[in-house]
Amino acid sequence: MHPESELTAYLTNALAPAERARVAEHLQRCAECRRALEESRAVLSGLAAVPAVPEPEWGRYRAELRARLEAPVRRAWWARPMPAMVAAGVAGVAVVLALQGHHERRPVELAAVEETMLGARLPLLEQYRVVERLDLLEDLEAIRHLDRLGDGGR
Amino acid sequence: MGSWTTGVTLTQEISDEALCRRVAARDEAAFDLLVTRHQGRAYRLAWSLLRNADDARDVSQEAFLRVYRTAAGFRGDARFSTWFYRILVNLCLDHRRRGRWWQRVLVRDDGSGDADVLERQPTTDPGPGDSLGAKQMTARLWAAVDRLSPQQRAAIVLHAQEELPTSQIAEVLKCSEATVRVHLHRAVGALRRIVREE
Repeated sequence: MHPESELTAYLTNALAPAERARVAEHLQRCAECRRALEESRAVLSGLAAVPAVPEPEWGRYRAELRARLEAPVRRAWWARPMPAMVAAGVAGVAVVLALQGHHERRPVELAAVEETMLGARLPLLEQYRVVERLDLLEDLEAIRHLDRLGDGGR
Repeated sequence: MGSWTTGVTLTQEISDEALCRRVAARDEAAFDLLVTRHQGRAYRLAWSLLRNADDARDVSQEAFLRVYRTAAGFRGDARFSTWFYRILVNLCLDHRRRGRWWQRVLVRDDGSGDADVLERQPTTDPGPGDSLGAKQMTARLWAAVDRLSPQQRAAIVLHAQEELPTSQIAEVLKCSEATVRVHLHRAVGALRRIVREE
Protein backbone atom coordinates (compact mmCIF):
# COMPACT_ATOMS: atom_id res chain seq x y z
CA MET A 1 0.00 0.00 0.00
CA HIS A 2 1.36 3.40 -1.05
CA PRO A 3 1.92 5.88 1.80
CA GLU A 4 0.91 8.78 -0.45
CA SER A 5 -0.89 10.66 2.29
CA GLU A 6 2.31 10.66 4.35
CA LEU A 7 4.69 11.98 1.70
CA THR A 8 4.13 15.65 2.53
CA ALA A 9 4.56 14.94 6.22
CA TYR A 10 7.73 13.01 5.32
CA LEU A 11 9.09 16.06 3.51
CA THR A 12 8.14 18.44 6.30
CA ASN A 13 9.64 16.21 9.00
CA ALA A 14 6.26 15.84 10.65
CA LEU A 15 6.39 12.05 10.97
CA ALA A 16 7.30 10.08 14.05
CA PRO A 17 10.59 8.17 13.65
CA ALA A 18 8.91 4.79 13.12
CA GLU A 19 6.55 6.18 10.50
CA ARG A 20 9.40 7.97 8.80
CA ALA A 21 11.45 4.79 8.60
CA ARG A 22 8.50 2.89 7.13
CA VAL A 23 7.93 5.55 4.42
CA ALA A 24 11.66 5.68 3.64
CA GLU A 25 11.75 1.95 3.18
CA HIS A 26 8.73 2.05 0.87
CA LEU A 27 10.31 4.83 -1.20
CA GLN A 28 13.36 2.68 -1.86
CA ARG A 29 11.27 0.11 -3.71
CA CYS A 30 8.44 2.20 -5.22
CA ALA A 31 9.18 4.38 -8.27
CA GLU A 32 5.65 5.79 -8.31
CA CYS A 33 5.95 7.14 -4.77
CA ARG A 34 9.43 8.49 -5.50
CA ARG A 35 7.97 10.45 -8.42
CA ALA A 36 5.16 11.75 -6.20
CA LEU A 37 7.72 12.70 -3.58
CA GLU A 38 9.77 14.67 -6.11
CA GLU A 39 6.68 16.51 -7.32
CA SER A 40 5.78 17.39 -3.74
CA ARG A 41 9.33 18.52 -3.10
CA ALA A 42 9.16 20.76 -6.19
CA VAL A 43 5.94 22.29 -4.90
CA LEU A 44 7.37 23.04 -1.48
CA SER A 45 10.64 24.43 -2.84
CA GLY A 46 8.68 26.55 -5.34
CA LEU A 47 6.59 27.98 -2.51
CA ALA A 48 9.71 28.56 -0.43
CA ALA A 49 10.65 31.27 -2.95
CA VAL A 50 8.24 33.59 -1.18
CA PRO A 51 7.07 36.44 -3.38
CA ALA A 52 8.50 39.84 -2.46
CA VAL A 53 5.36 41.46 -1.09
CA PRO A 54 5.18 45.21 -1.80
CA GLU A 55 5.31 46.67 1.69
CA PRO A 56 3.47 49.77 2.86
CA GLU A 57 5.21 52.84 4.27
CA TRP A 58 5.47 51.76 7.89
CA GLY A 59 5.27 55.20 9.47
CA ARG A 60 1.98 55.82 7.73
CA TYR A 61 0.83 52.30 8.59
CA ARG A 62 1.37 52.94 12.31
CA ALA A 63 -0.24 56.39 12.09
CA GLU A 64 -3.36 54.80 10.55
CA LEU A 65 -3.32 52.14 13.25
CA ARG A 66 -3.15 54.77 15.97
CA ALA A 67 -6.02 56.71 14.39
CA ARG A 68 -8.12 53.55 14.33
CA LEU A 69 -7.21 52.81 17.92
CA GLU A 70 -8.34 56.22 19.05
CA ALA A 71 -11.51 56.25 16.93
CA PRO A 72 -14.75 55.27 18.65
CA VAL A 73 -15.58 51.62 18.23
CA ARG A 74 -18.12 51.06 15.48
CA ARG A 75 -21.08 49.09 16.73
CA ALA A 76 -22.60 46.23 14.78
CA TRP A 77 -25.76 47.08 12.85
CA TRP A 78 -27.98 45.29 15.37
CA ALA A 79 -26.46 47.29 18.22
CA ARG A 80 -26.99 50.66 16.60
CA PRO A 81 -29.73 53.05 17.75
CA MET A 82 -33.24 52.47 16.53
CA PRO A 83 -33.39 55.31 13.98
CA ALA A 84 -30.95 53.48 11.73
CA MET A 85 -33.06 50.33 11.93
CA VAL A 86 -36.22 52.28 11.29
CA ALA A 87 -34.62 53.92 8.27
CA ALA A 88 -33.48 50.53 7.00
CA GLY A 89 -36.99 49.14 7.50
CA VAL A 90 -38.59 52.01 5.66
CA ALA A 91 -36.09 51.66 2.83
CA GLY A 92 -36.81 47.93 2.67
CA VAL A 93 -40.56 48.49 2.51
CA ALA A 94 -40.03 51.12 -0.20
CA VAL A 95 -37.96 48.70 -2.26
CA VAL A 96 -40.55 45.93 -1.89
CA LEU A 97 -43.37 48.28 -2.86
CA ALA A 98 -41.38 49.59 -5.80
CA LEU A 99 -40.66 46.05 -6.99
CA GLN A 100 -44.31 45.08 -6.63
CA GLY A 101 -45.32 48.16 -8.54
CA HIS A 102 -42.85 47.26 -11.25
CA HIS A 103 -44.18 43.73 -11.62
CA GLU A 104 -47.86 44.54 -11.23
CA ARG A 105 -48.50 47.48 -13.49
CA ARG A 106 -52.17 48.08 -13.20
CA PRO A 107 -54.31 49.96 -15.66
CA VAL A 108 -54.22 53.71 -15.34
CA GLU A 109 -57.96 53.81 -14.71
CA LEU A 110 -57.70 51.55 -11.65
CA ALA A 111 -54.85 53.63 -10.22
CA ALA A 112 -56.96 56.75 -10.68
CA VAL A 113 -59.82 55.14 -8.74
CA GLU A 114 -57.46 54.26 -5.87
CA GLU A 115 -56.13 57.80 -5.78
CA THR A 116 -59.68 59.10 -5.54
CA MET A 117 -60.41 56.73 -2.61
CA LEU A 118 -57.19 57.73 -0.87
CA GLY A 119 -58.10 61.34 -1.32
CA ALA A 120 -61.41 60.63 0.37
CA ARG A 121 -59.53 59.24 3.40
CA LEU A 122 -57.08 62.10 3.57
CA PRO A 123 -58.81 63.87 6.46
CA LEU A 124 -58.35 60.72 8.53
CA LEU A 125 -54.61 60.63 7.72
CA GLU A 126 -54.37 64.20 8.88
CA GLN A 127 -55.52 63.19 12.35
CA TYR A 128 -52.00 63.23 13.66
CA ARG A 129 -52.92 62.25 17.17
CA VAL A 130 -54.24 58.94 15.87
CA VAL A 131 -51.25 58.37 13.62
CA GLU A 132 -48.75 59.29 16.32
CA ARG A 133 -50.11 56.63 18.64
CA LEU A 134 -49.51 53.87 16.12
CA ASP A 135 -46.78 51.40 16.90
CA LEU A 136 -44.29 51.19 14.06
CA LEU A 137 -44.73 47.46 13.63
CA GLU A 138 -48.50 47.73 13.51
CA ASP A 139 -48.67 50.69 11.22
CA LEU A 140 -49.42 48.96 7.93
CA GLU A 141 -52.35 47.02 9.34
CA ALA A 142 -53.58 50.04 11.26
CA ILE A 143 -53.40 52.41 8.30
CA ARG A 144 -55.32 49.88 6.26
CA HIS A 145 -58.18 50.22 8.78
CA LEU A 146 -57.60 53.83 9.66
CA ASP A 147 -61.21 54.77 9.08
CA ARG A 148 -62.30 52.45 11.91
CA LEU A 149 -59.56 53.79 14.19
CA GLY A 150 -60.66 57.28 13.40
CA ASP A 151 -64.25 56.44 14.41
CA GLY A 152 -63.09 54.80 17.60
CA GLY A 153 -60.85 57.67 18.47
CA ARG A 154 -63.65 60.18 18.46
CA MET B 1 3.14 55.99 17.29
CA GLY B 2 6.33 57.53 18.45
CA SER B 3 4.32 59.88 20.63
CA TRP B 4 3.08 57.01 22.75
CA THR B 5 5.44 57.13 25.65
CA THR B 6 5.21 56.02 29.23
CA GLY B 7 8.62 56.96 30.47
CA VAL B 8 9.58 53.30 30.64
CA THR B 9 12.48 52.37 28.41
CA LEU B 10 11.68 49.26 26.45
CA THR B 11 14.40 47.30 24.82
CA GLN B 12 14.47 44.59 22.22
CA GLU B 13 15.32 42.05 24.93
CA ILE B 14 11.82 42.13 26.40
CA SER B 15 9.83 39.14 25.24
CA ASP B 16 6.62 39.46 23.25
CA GLU B 17 4.75 37.86 26.11
CA ALA B 18 6.04 40.44 28.59
CA LEU B 19 5.16 43.23 26.18
CA CYS B 20 1.66 41.82 25.82
CA ARG B 21 1.20 41.89 29.59
CA ARG B 22 2.24 45.55 29.54
CA VAL B 23 -0.21 46.23 26.72
CA ALA B 24 -2.92 44.74 28.95
CA ALA B 25 -1.96 47.41 31.49
CA ARG B 26 -2.36 50.00 28.70
CA ASP B 27 1.34 50.62 28.19
CA GLU B 28 1.31 52.41 24.84
CA ALA B 29 5.07 52.16 24.34
CA ALA B 30 4.88 48.38 24.75
CA PHE B 31 2.16 48.24 22.11
CA ASP B 32 4.29 50.43 19.86
CA LEU B 33 7.21 48.04 20.14
CA LEU B 34 5.00 44.98 19.64
CA VAL B 35 3.58 46.48 16.45
CA THR B 36 7.01 47.43 15.16
CA ARG B 37 8.26 43.91 15.79
CA HIS B 38 5.40 42.13 14.07
CA GLN B 39 4.09 44.57 11.44
CA GLY B 40 6.17 43.13 8.60
CA ARG B 41 5.25 39.51 9.19
CA ALA B 42 1.63 40.36 9.91
CA TYR B 43 1.24 42.37 6.73
CA ARG B 44 3.05 39.76 4.63
CA LEU B 45 0.96 36.91 6.00
CA ALA B 46 -2.26 38.86 5.46
CA TRP B 47 -1.15 39.70 1.94
CA SER B 48 -0.43 36.06 1.18
CA LEU B 49 -3.88 35.03 2.37
CA LEU B 50 -5.79 37.94 0.82
CA ARG B 51 -3.68 38.88 -2.24
CA ASN B 52 -4.64 42.51 -1.96
CA ALA B 53 -2.53 45.32 -0.50
CA ASP B 54 -5.43 47.39 0.89
CA ASP B 55 -7.07 44.36 2.47
CA ALA B 56 -3.76 43.18 3.92
CA ARG B 57 -3.14 46.59 5.52
CA ASP B 58 -6.69 46.83 6.84
CA VAL B 59 -6.86 43.31 8.27
CA SER B 60 -3.36 43.29 9.77
CA GLN B 61 -4.12 46.60 11.50
CA GLU B 62 -7.37 45.12 12.76
CA ALA B 63 -5.37 42.21 14.23
CA PHE B 64 -3.21 44.67 16.17
CA LEU B 65 -6.33 46.46 17.39
CA ARG B 66 -7.65 43.12 18.68
CA VAL B 67 -4.37 42.54 20.46
CA TYR B 68 -4.65 45.94 22.15
CA ARG B 69 -8.25 45.42 23.18
CA THR B 70 -7.98 41.80 24.29
CA ALA B 71 -4.43 41.69 25.66
CA ALA B 72 -5.80 41.06 29.13
CA GLY B 73 -7.19 37.75 27.85
CA PHE B 74 -3.81 36.54 26.60
CA ARG B 75 -2.78 33.46 28.54
CA GLY B 76 0.84 33.47 29.58
CA ASP B 77 1.23 29.76 28.88
CA ALA B 78 0.88 30.27 25.12
CA ARG B 79 3.34 31.96 22.82
CA PHE B 80 2.35 35.46 21.80
CA SER B 81 3.15 34.74 18.16
CA THR B 82 0.79 31.74 18.11
CA TRP B 83 -1.98 33.77 19.70
CA PHE B 84 -1.42 36.67 17.32
CA TYR B 85 -1.25 34.42 14.24
CA ARG B 86 -4.54 32.86 15.29
CA ILE B 87 -6.21 36.27 15.51
CA LEU B 88 -4.75 37.35 12.19
CA VAL B 89 -5.51 34.16 10.26
CA ASN B 90 -9.08 34.09 11.53
CA LEU B 91 -9.58 37.71 10.50
CA CYS B 92 -8.17 36.96 7.04
CA LEU B 93 -10.39 33.93 6.55
CA ASP B 94 -13.45 35.85 7.78
CA HIS B 95 -12.57 38.72 5.48
CA ARG B 96 -12.39 36.44 2.48
CA ARG B 97 -15.64 34.73 3.38
CA ARG B 98 -17.49 38.01 3.73
CA GLY B 99 -15.86 40.58 1.55
CA ARG B 100 -16.00 41.25 -2.12
CA TRP B 101 -17.58 37.91 -2.97
CA TRP B 102 -19.41 39.49 -5.84
CA GLN B 103 -16.10 40.69 -7.31
CA ARG B 104 -14.64 37.19 -7.15
CA VAL B 105 -17.76 35.77 -8.80
CA LEU B 106 -17.59 38.37 -11.57
CA VAL B 107 -13.89 37.79 -12.16
CA ARG B 108 -14.31 34.02 -12.36
CA ASP B 109 -17.45 34.19 -14.47
CA ASP B 110 -15.77 36.06 -17.26
CA GLY B 111 -12.99 33.49 -17.43
CA SER B 112 -10.27 35.96 -16.49
CA GLY B 113 -9.78 34.68 -12.96
CA ASP B 114 -6.48 32.96 -13.54
CA ALA B 115 -4.99 35.87 -15.44
CA ASP B 116 -6.10 38.27 -12.74
CA VAL B 117 -4.55 36.22 -9.99
CA LEU B 118 -1.32 35.88 -11.92
CA GLU B 119 -1.17 39.62 -12.49
CA ARG B 120 -1.53 40.19 -8.78
CA GLN B 121 1.59 38.17 -8.04
CA PRO B 122 4.39 40.45 -7.00
CA THR B 123 7.69 39.86 -8.65
CA THR B 124 9.98 37.49 -6.83
CA ASP B 125 13.47 38.60 -6.06
CA PRO B 126 15.58 36.85 -8.67
CA GLY B 127 18.49 35.22 -6.93
CA PRO B 128 21.67 34.08 -8.65
CA GLY B 129 20.81 31.50 -11.26
CA ASP B 130 17.10 32.04 -10.85
CA SER B 131 15.60 31.27 -14.23
CA LEU B 132 12.50 32.73 -15.78
CA GLY B 133 10.95 29.26 -15.62
CA ALA B 134 11.48 29.02 -11.88
CA LYS B 135 9.97 32.47 -11.37
CA GLN B 136 6.97 31.56 -13.48
CA MET B 137 6.58 28.32 -11.57
CA THR B 138 6.63 30.18 -8.25
CA ALA B 139 4.07 32.68 -9.56
CA ARG B 140 1.81 29.90 -10.80
CA LEU B 141 2.10 27.99 -7.55
CA TRP B 142 1.20 31.03 -5.44
CA ALA B 143 -1.66 31.83 -7.81
CA ALA B 144 -2.93 28.29 -7.30
CA VAL B 145 -2.62 28.69 -3.52
CA ASP B 146 -5.26 31.38 -3.87
CA ARG B 147 -7.73 28.77 -5.11
CA LEU B 148 -7.22 26.30 -2.26
CA SER B 149 -9.78 25.95 0.49
CA PRO B 150 -9.31 28.48 3.32
CA GLN B 151 -7.89 25.94 5.77
CA GLN B 152 -5.54 24.42 3.20
CA ARG B 153 -4.40 27.88 2.11
CA ALA B 154 -3.74 28.95 5.68
CA ALA B 155 -1.84 25.74 6.42
CA ILE B 156 0.38 25.92 3.34
CA VAL B 157 1.15 29.64 3.81
CA LEU B 158 2.02 29.14 7.47
CA HIS B 159 4.24 26.23 6.53
CA ALA B 160 5.92 27.52 3.36
CA GLN B 161 6.14 31.22 4.16
CA GLU B 162 6.23 31.43 7.93
CA GLU B 163 8.06 28.11 8.30
CA LEU B 164 5.92 27.08 11.25
CA PRO B 165 6.13 23.45 12.35
CA THR B 166 3.00 21.33 12.11
CA SER B 167 2.43 21.56 15.85
CA GLN B 168 2.33 25.36 15.83
CA ILE B 169 0.11 25.45 12.71
CA ALA B 170 -2.27 23.19 14.62
CA GLU B 171 -2.32 25.66 17.51
CA VAL B 172 -2.97 28.59 15.16
CA LEU B 173 -5.77 26.80 13.31
CA LYS B 174 -7.10 25.26 16.52
CA CYS B 175 -7.09 21.73 15.17
CA SER B 176 -5.06 18.57 15.63
CA GLU B 177 -1.67 17.97 14.05
CA ALA B 178 -3.21 15.12 12.07
CA THR B 179 -5.71 17.56 10.57
CA VAL B 180 -2.90 19.93 9.62
CA ARG B 181 -1.12 17.06 7.92
CA VAL B 182 -4.26 16.33 5.93
CA HIS B 183 -4.61 20.01 4.94
CA LEU B 184 -0.98 20.13 3.83
CA HIS B 185 -1.22 16.83 1.98
CA ARG B 186 -4.32 17.94 0.07
CA ALA B 187 -2.85 21.36 -0.68
CA VAL B 188 0.39 19.88 -2.01
CA GLY B 189 -1.62 17.29 -3.96
CA ALA B 190 -3.59 20.05 -5.70
CA LEU B 191 -0.44 22.05 -6.42
CA ARG B 192 1.42 19.03 -7.79
CA ARG B 193 -0.74 19.16 -10.89
CA ILE B 194 0.94 22.44 -11.77
CA VAL B 195 4.39 20.91 -11.42
CA ARG B 196 3.30 17.96 -13.58
CA GLU B 197 2.11 20.27 -16.36
CA GLU B 198 5.53 21.93 -16.66
